[in-house]
Amino acid sequence: MNPESEFFDESAQCLMRSPLFSGLESHAIEEIVTRCRRETWKRRRQLPMEETWQRFHILQSGRVRLSRSNPESGRMITLFLLGPGEPFCIFSLLDGKPHEVMLETLDDVTLLSLPMDEARQWLEQHPEFNRKLLPYLGEQMCSLAGLAADLALHNTETRLARLILRYIDAPAEQQHVTPRLINDLSHEFLAEMIGSVRVVVNRQLQHWKQEGIVDAHRGHLEVEALQELVRRAEEPPHKASV
Amino acid sequence: MVQENSCVAVYDNHLQAEEAVHLLQKNGFDVKSLSIVGKGYQREEHPIGFYNTGNRIKFWGAQGAFWGGLWELLLGAAFFWVPGLGTVVIAGPLVSAFVAALEGATVVGGLNALGVALYSIGIPKDSIIRYEIAIKSDRYLLIVHGDQSEVERAHDLLAAGDARDVTIHLS
Repeated sequence: MNPESEFFDESAQCLMRSPLFSGLESHAIEEIVTRCRRETWKRRRQLPMEETWQRFHILQSGRVRLSRSNPESGRMITLFLLGPGEPFCIFSLLDGKPHEVMLETLDDVTLLSLPMDEARQWLEQHPEFNRKLLPYLGEQMCSLAGLAADLALHNTETRLARLILRYIDAPAEQQHVTPRLINDLSHEFLAEMIGSVRVVVNRQLQHWKQEGIVDAHRGHLEVEALQELVRRAEEPPHKASV
Repeated sequence: MVQENSCVAVYDNHLQAEEAVHLLQKNGFDVKSLSIVGKGYQREEHPIGFYNTGNRIKFWGAQGAFWGGLWELLLGAAFFWVPGLGTVVIAGPLVSAFVAALEGATVVGGLNALGVALYSIGIPKDSIIRYEIAIKSDRYLLIVHGDQSEVERAHDLLAAGDARDVTIHLS
């Protein structure tokens, strides 16, 4: 991107605010933005990662879901829900291979993208980025491990509670909280994030609503009793009946 | 129907925009897939407008040769006064999207006719606002319409030139 571009400053600012790039020297951030091209993708754009893995992408605005599905059963599991400042095709950055993942934009998104080779070159020139990248990758792996463990060990109520808590940054003593990124998602989408189906998630949310734990209606999710939700997420694995 | 994938390049002056059109043409792009939008620069003491002589539409104004040449080359010609922007001159397939917007075929809250035309070809609102500011500042938009591989190829060509900004919009 040309540093003279109307969009250059906001792109650099976006990276400076993101957990992955914050703390880097401004010249390193400006350098990667200069190497990038700016793209916008319309909402509900779906494409397999085979079409994107040769470029490294950084979301500037909007949300992207990475998922896998079984074409025979039609069932889908969301592996990651990414928001502004987060990268995708990051595993391909590391191993240079495509991965069997489907991408879907949940909003109109703006992103920066650059060829993998250039991204690797930039990484070599800025090893200080690894201080941010490695913990980020660790978090991603933990998240996948958490998802696998939840699917195998916990019931739907616990999985749903844990999902909502993953997207809450507020202190535990706060009662009313709006989760980030997932608060306007459909029940079907939430179900696909915990390996369940819409009717089960809908029934659970209605149940919690009656108990005063959440306020859930079409396209809106708010936690009304955070501590109770935390309690519901702490179900010991041996009690689970998936 | 204009394709909903595009590459939009912003140029500081009409000479750069014209050069970019020729560059794309030289590299095998169909000129019928290109649009240009500009303000039709106007000074108070000079008239601005267009007229038809036989089968040719001519532009009367500060960049008459530029717009006249483009109107001959590209698919579609339009000259309008848009509230908030002033005189807007368009060449290329974006004209049909602009006319559809004027006729109310597409309505998008908070956008003028040019904004609606850009929105209808897949450009998101926040980018439209920036492009309108660019036009108000007497800059020029060159839009390449096409499939993903075409707009990506156009990006690589244009980004290596004088463009102030080049963005890919995919639907």
